[in-house]
Amino acid sequence: MTVDVTPTVGEARVDVVDVTRRFGDVQALDRVSLTIGQGEFLTLLGPSGCGKSTLLRIIGGFDRPTSGSVRLSGRDVTNQPAYKRSVNMVFQRPTLFPHLDVAGNVAFGPRIAGSGGGRAQVRARVDEALAMVRLSGYQDRRSHELSGGQMQRVALARAIVNRPDVLLLDEPLSALDLTIRLEMEEELRRLHREVGGTFIYVTHDQREALALSDRVAVFDAGRVEQVGTPDDIYHRPATSFVARLVGDANVVAVDAESTDGPHACVRIGDRSIAVDGDTRGPAWLVVKPENVRVRATTDGVIRNGDHLTGTVADVSFRGTGFSYRIAVAGLTELVKAEVTGERPLPVGDEVTIGWTSSAASLLARPATRS
Amino acid sequence: MNERRQSSPVTAVFVVVSLVFLFVPLLVVVLFSFNSIGSLSLPFRGFSLRWYRQVFESPVFRSSLRSSAIVATATAVSTLILGTLAAYALSRARTRWRAPLALVLFLPLTLPGLFIGLSLLVLFGEAEVSLSLTTVAIAHLVYVMPYFLLIAVAALQRLDPALEEAGADLGANGWLVFTRVTLPQVWPVLMGATFLAFALSFDEFVITFFVIGPESTLPMFIFSSLRRTVDPSINAISTLLLAITLALFAGSFYLTLRGGRRSVIAVTGETGSA
Amino acid sequence: MAADQGGRLRLVASAPGPDVGPGSAGGDPIGATGRSTDRRRRPLFAAVPALVWMLLFFVLPLVVFAIYSVLTAGLYEVSTPLTLDPYRDAITDPLNRTLARNSVIVGVATATVCIAVGLPVAYWLRFAAGRWRLAVLFLITASMFASYLVRIYAWRSVLGSEGIINSGLVSLGLIDEPLSFLLYNRGAVVIALVHIFLPFVVLVLYAAMTPMSDGLLEAGRDLGAGSVMLWRRVVMPIMAAPCWNAFVFVFILSAADYVTPQFLGGREGTTLGVRIQAAFISVGNWPLAAATSFLMLGGFVLLHLAGSFVLRRLRLNDLRLAT
Repeated sequence: MTVDVTPTVGEARVDVVDVTRRFGDVQALDRVSLTIGQGEFLTLLGPSGCGKSTLLRIIGGFDRPTSGSVRLSGRDVTNQPAYKRSVNMVFQRPTLFPHLDVAGNVAFGPRIAGSGGGRAQVRARVDEALAMVRLSGYQDRRSHELSGGQMQRVALARAIVNRPDVLLLDEPLSALDLTIRLEMEEELRRLHREVGGTFIYVTHDQREALALSDRVAVFDAGRVEQVGTPDDIYHRPATSFVARLVGDANVVAVDAESTDGPHACVRIGDRSIAVDGDTRGPAWLVVKPENVRVRATTDGVIRNGDHLTGTVADVSFRGTGFSYRIAVAGLTELVKAEVTGERPLPVGDEVTIGWTSSAASLLARPATRS
Repeated sequence: MNERRQSSPVTAVFVVVSLVFLFVPLLVVVLFSFNSIGSLSLPFRGFSLRWYRQVFESPVFRSSLRSSAIVATATAVSTLILGTLAAYALSRARTRWRAPLALVLFLPLTLPGLFIGLSLLVLFGEAEVSLSLTTVAIAHLVYVMPYFLLIAVAALQRLDPALEEAGADLGANGWLVFTRVTLPQVWPVLMGATFLAFALSFDEFVITFFVIGPESTLPMFIFSSLRRTVDPSINAISTLLLAITLALFAGSFYLTLRGGRRSVIAVTGETGSA
Repeated sequence: MAADQGGRLRLVASAPGPDVGPGSAGGDPIGATGRSTDRRRRPLFAAVPALVWMLLFFVLPLVVFAIYSVLTAGLYEVSTPLTLDPYRDAITDPLNRTLARNSVIVGVATATVCIAVGLPVAYWLRFAAGRWRLAVLFLITASMFASYLVRIYAWRSVLGSEGIINSGLVSLGLIDEPLSFLLYNRGAVVIALVHIFLPFVVLVLYAAMTPMSDGLLEAGRDLGAGSVMLWRRVVMPIMAAPCWNAFVFVFILSAADYVTPQFLGGREGTTLGVRIQAAFISVGNWPLAAATSFLMLGGFVLLHLAGSFVLRRLRLNDLRLAT
């Protein structure tokens, strides 16, 4: 009877139930509940200090919640220390053991577990794991001979060789150069496709989160703001925080007034604008920069969907087009616009901006939070 | 480190004077150990190894050398074991008991050997323990431990805690993490500190004077030679002792440096080369 | 190698790594399980063997020795009636007064010279050494490891009437008779003790200077400070605490030294440490030796406390340099 020891990641389901973590006076996590499904690639996204790494470490067993519990495939593992959990982590900085070569690093887990089935089998597992991250032949290298990307790949191999039920990744790409990072993203996607396990990923880079994940959980100050597919998060942000974080939208505080029709009406400066949506009362107007059209006012002609006039405060080149910051009467923040084109409008010019009514949306604005 | 050198002729003079001051007396002793006539006055008469021959043929010298080596080895080994454990405790524990523990372990550093030696002599007297090389080794362990700890604790603190977390993540419990992850990183530095312990014990006199029994260590031997009339072979013995301790410290220095560089790589993941 | 004593204890007492915040593996102050402090305290147990050893062979002996200082003296023995006689004798003995003065003079002189010479050398190493730094550092560290007794012997030889100074001057015809004042006085003792402690002081001060960025001095110069001003206003305040700690360390060890004065001090240069040792070994008056010892120790502690107090008042005691 042979036991399958191919490097892989299991498809355990992870339940985070009402987890709170306090450090003295600081509330790092506030009653967070989250379920990561079997075989899902879920990303915890948020700015520094929002608690995402803390939650990951709690799932990994490096920390214990102040209250709440964590379940792995239904079993409560809240009090289980890291070395007992069938979960493995890839850390942010390369944490390869410098006194071991690549093969020694990857073999570390199996050797500790002792169930390797002999040296030959351990070696075979190591070779397979390295093959999975496309580093075959690197067995004898030392960590100081590897590039950053290669080191993280070894870290990956070192994790999956243990066949963990869940793979945790704590901003593994943030220390890498941009080109390497993009390559590694592809690697991770491929790995997840091939191996199909449950991956929990942490990052502050929203582009990365959208590119890699099946679902994204957006965190702010220890709370989950929204959980959804990348499409949900991007096109239908549930809160102003998510809207600002993902896609860098323009978010303006307005009052949505009812009209006869299905639209709402908001006032900005001395203009009235029609917006799709059911929300009434205090609201956030959300418009993505790529949906904002910018036109020089010298044109004179009023077109459909024109809403506001303003002056160009800043222009920067974006390759495919330009990025504008526009000062508009009645708005305290500059309006962000991403426009394709070949010739920029210079700073100081009068412009007219607008968007289609379906491109803008309204979110409810509760009175207490800003 | 920034290498913007500033010129300072005044301090340079101090440096030169200091180096001359520090080395000339020692070099004189070394030089005159080869003097064919047994005096320390100029002029230098002729090159000869007779004093070394005399020394090596002296049975008292040989036995005191052996005794010193035995005591130093015992001291070094026990310091390594007890010290590594204590350094682990000091560098990893995070409670308020840490400060008092550190105080007790480091205090012998500033207490003059006179008091350490006298109080131990009193203790041994009260406990009716007869003085011997064993009592010397006991005393040396007390004296040497803080020096060892200084180096070992610093080395352990320099380690990247992420490495130990990675070890735990991969299934190693506390003991295994210590033996398979932590120790392999720091063993060169620990070896260097052990060399230091050996050398400190080998050369120790101030405390040994009080707690030694009928045997003699090398420094005790030199001390009694000094008390007698001038015996020219002291130059040779002194040179030998200098050479031994210097060699030990060079070894310790090298090992500590080499270990230090390793841990820098471990922490940053950077190698400086591509 | 070593940092100064005050710095050392501080280094150890303030552990790196957060007590709160992510990154402290296994931390859980108010856990649901209630066993939270376990993991933080557990590593301490590894220190038990060393701790037991120190308690048994360092603390206990001192306690017993302290008890001896209040017992009645016999010849090479002590007996019970508790008495403060040893302390009274130690304080009132006029010879002790002289010897104590000698010890203080020797200690202060040694420490002062070490700092006065050590500071410029450390400065040079830090700021003006260039490519010579490693070589000089190595030399100084190496000289620190020369054997204690050999140094004493070396200076006795060098300063003696047959030593190279005298024989050199005689053979050059500059003097007729060897100079006798070189040896067997406090000066000779100080010279030898400086020889012993100078390398250590240099390394300690150098270590204290390394966090000072080059920019610090350049900023001072840019703001118009000449060299003297730079020293007074920038270097010295930063170095005040390390210098003081080094001073106390050297003072204590020099003042209590009993070997150097024996060989180099003659009658004029003998110190309290010599007498304590003689009282115990030769005379056999154990309580007196103990009492004198603890009086000396008390003096050291007072010195240390006074200095810390002054430094704290001047707010120079815990400067952290942003590097």
